[in-house]
Amino acid sequence: MQVRIGIFICDCGKSLSNIDFTKVRERAEKFQDVVYVDLSSSLCLEEGQKNMLSAIREPDINRVVIAGCSSELKENVFGKALEELGLNYNFLSLANIREQCSWTHEGDVTDKALELIRMAANKARFLQPVEKNYIPVNKEVLVVGGGFSGMKSALELSGLGLRTTLLEAVLGGKLGEFESFYGIEATPEEMLSSMRKAVAGDENIKVLTSAEVTKVEGQAGDFTVSIGRGEEKVCQSFGAIIFATGYMTEILPQDFQLKPDVNIISQRKLVEMLQAPGEFERRPRTIGFVLDVSNENSRLPVLSTLNNALAVKKRLGSEVYVFCKSLKVDSEGVEKLYREARERGVVFLKFEERPRISKEDGRVRVEARDLLLGEEVTLLCDFLVAEEKVLPPEGTEALSSMLNIGTDSGGFYQDENVHLYPVASERKGIFFVGGCKGDSDFTRISMDISSAAMSIYKLLCPGKVMVEVEKVKVESERCRACLTCVRVCPHGAIQMVRVDTEKEVAKIYDLACDGCGICAAICPAKAIRFEGYADEQILAEVEAIGESL
Amino acid sequence: MNREDNKIVAFCCEHSAYQAANKAGRTRLYYPDNVRIIRVPCAGRVDVQHILKAFEKGAAGVLVMGCQEGACQHLTGSTRAKERVKYAESLLKEVGIDGGEVRMVNLAPDMAQRFIREVKEMAEKIEGR
Amino acid sequence: MIIAQRKPLEEIKNMLSGYKNILVAGCRTCVTICWAGGEKEVGILSSQLKLASSGERNGLSILEATVERQCEKEMVIDELGDKVPEVEAILSMGCGAGVQTVADIFEGKPVFPALNTTFVGMPEKEGAWVEMCGACGDCFLDRSGGICPVVRCAKGLLNGPCGGTRRGGKCEIDPEKECAWVLIYRRLEKQGRLDLMRKYYEPKNYRAVKRPGRVKAATA
Repeated sequence: MQVRIGIFICDCGKSLSNIDFTKVRERAEKFQDVVYVDLSSSLCLEEGQKNMLSAIREPDINRVVIAGCSSELKENVFGKALEELGLNYNFLSLANIREQCSWTHEGDVTDKALELIRMAANKARFLQPVEKNYIPVNKEVLVVGGGFSGMKSALELSGLGLRTTLLEAVLGGKLGEFESFYGIEATPEEMLSSMRKAVAGDENIKVLTSAEVTKVEGQAGDFTVSIGRGEEKVCQSFGAIIFATGYMTEILPQDFQLKPDVNIISQRKLVEMLQAPGEFERRPRTIGFVLDVSNENSRLPVLSTLNNALAVKKRLGSEVYVFCKSLKVDSEGVEKLYREARERGVVFLKFEERPRISKEDGRVRVEARDLLLGEEVTLLCDFLVAEEKVLPPEGTEALSSMLNIGTDSGGFYQDENVHLYPVASERKGIFFVGGCKGDSDFTRISMDISSAAMSIYKLLCPGKVMVEVEKVKVESERCRACLTCVRVCPHGAIQMVRVDTEKEVAKIYDLACDGCGICAAICPAKAIRFEGYADEQILAEVEAIGESL
Repeated sequence: MNREDNKIVAFCCEHSAYQAANKAGRTRLYYPDNVRIIRVPCAGRVDVQHILKAFEKGAAGVLVMGCQEGACQHLTGSTRAKERVKYAESLLKEVGIDGGEVRMVNLAPDMAQRFIREVKEMAEKIEGR
Repeated sequence: MIIAQRKPLEEIKNMLSGYKNILVAGCRTCVTICWAGGEKEVGILSSQLKLASSGERNGLSILEATVERQCEKEMVIDELGDKVPEVEAILSMGCGAGVQTVADIFEGKPVFPALNTTFVGMPEKEGAWVEMCGACGDCFLDRSGGICPVVRCAKGLLNGPCGGTRRGGKCEIDPEKECAWVLIYRRLEKQGRLDLMRKYYEPKNYRAVKRPGRVKAATA
């Protein structure tokens, strides 16, 4: 069908005085495929728009160029106006002759304005329609991980009216490794137990124990997840997934040149012993903690050390010494915790060089140079609680590569963008919360969980989502199945599918696509077309520059 | 377009440079009028071919302007654009266009002054050719 | 698949000197996937050639075309047939097989190679390809745990490491390379087939593939 372009120019209430609009109108009428040019002073106002709409009907215009102020202010408004006329909203091309022309150059800018309009008109000649449509989304949510973060996620989602399946090898998580939490009345055990009860009694939550995720296919709104339970394998569809797979801790022998043994124990072991004090042959007189030998970034070792040091003081009354290089107290409430520990008599010794640890007469000998005293300090303790390195949970590498989601330098799942999108992951509909992101701050984790639950609610609650259909599209004929786009899409929105049960080609999922065009640029076979920013459309803009006016 | 027209084609990412250019306009900061802005959804949309075609069609200079690395809404777009501009530079060098006529710029949406400085510098560079 | 790389522009320009009217022909198969000679690269090279000749009087006139698979006669004729009569020479961006197929069909026109065909390989990651196979005609992979010592060992040894392996399992000749035999050892160890390394293998028969090689399917 013949392209018939209508150009609507706005002089912004006659304020763009360095443009000769008469000349512009005259010349624009002569541009290729232009059938109508109109000048207005207020296209953004109702009257201006009414005039524009009736003008379009007359000469049967089917592509609209609007020259005026900056696009993002008015794009939606004009798009809707076109739709009212039965024209596709994508048949709109905008020229910014105000912020990027009239307001920013001295002297007469008529020629530049004309060129900008010509660029927009040339682009308009190649615009194609884009349809909008609803795609149904599945309202069920999958939560992987039954620890504190997992259970809290499930409970919040249920509170929002969403049905959740909670998957876990075992319900409990790392919370149970803390003896107590400073500032919180209930013990971790009590917290967990009440959460377990709440989860069990919640009719919106289905718990699958001894289960794990083996595969995730599809996209936000419709993930097909393969779940393995022992021998059984089940496939189910979910609209969104929250991963709360926790973390692991490990005492690294290379940090201490010795292995854990009777006197050199982990935090967990300490907690176990504190909860069963009858275990001790005699009350330990001195307990030492060592921190910060492995350049730990996580706040967790500090948290557990301070909490457990206090617990030792309260339960056993032993002398407690903490050897540390630096104490990271920037999590919520931890400074107060530190002060309380000191007031209770916990002694903190700061070292620069790693302490030397050895055994002596069945006790543990720790030697270090204390920075403040400027002297060598030797301590003989009954127990030494070694720092544990916080590690991402088992299976993280496999899971992140299967999901095409990045991990940070510590191996933990990474936020999509620390500044802009701290809760989402790189893939729409998939969220990570809690320890598996390297977080250990309760308040922060709780906020993350609420954010994730809210995002999921917004996405799934209506039961359907409006998308621009195939705005970015792979032309299967041209696709070489080289997997470049699949590997490169920052939002994991492209997957390989079988077409006509024969050829495997790439397919872009509309809901997950965020419209960046990286795939279109990189496709070696030029098989991807991004409507609105297609190669021929960009080229049309370039070619329109400098053509005689 | 002819090289003598000294036109600069600036591919501007809509999340950063395009906004910076608008801000320059709103605050009435002046810059040379030989720059033509082409809006793109992300600097990562710009391919080597777009850059070369711009020169083939007579551009005297090309700017590819996107978000600062680490702040790209599409994570890798800015970085990819940077790599492509580097490659385009080497291809242009092969044909004797070797004076910095193509350049990658990373900026934030509120950096109007920076936008202007880059345009001015490019304009001076191609003038002096 | 076949991996190729574009020749330096100087070399290509020299081939084309004297010709004002050319066809640049790409291929949509292997060289598209390795970013060397697809439609995009045809466009880029054409832009470069036009820019390089823009100062001259009667600058270069270029037709661009991309064949589905440049080593198939029918496809070449289909895509290029009507364009060749209009040009003086053809610059092929296909692999060596493609260049020669085009040359054999259009005998009256000079056909120049824009690429150097380098090896049979696979992508290590996006944008980076590594050689895997030397097309020696006498595949050894069953005995080396699926790792080719002909191509991935700098000396092409068939009977274990040369003894000069550097620390970290690196090759004596090229310290950037992994010693192929270390890789083979580890692979066979995983599979419990180390006994294969105790056998002696006769030197390769390099005449297994007569040049030019010919393969005919039994059911042809």
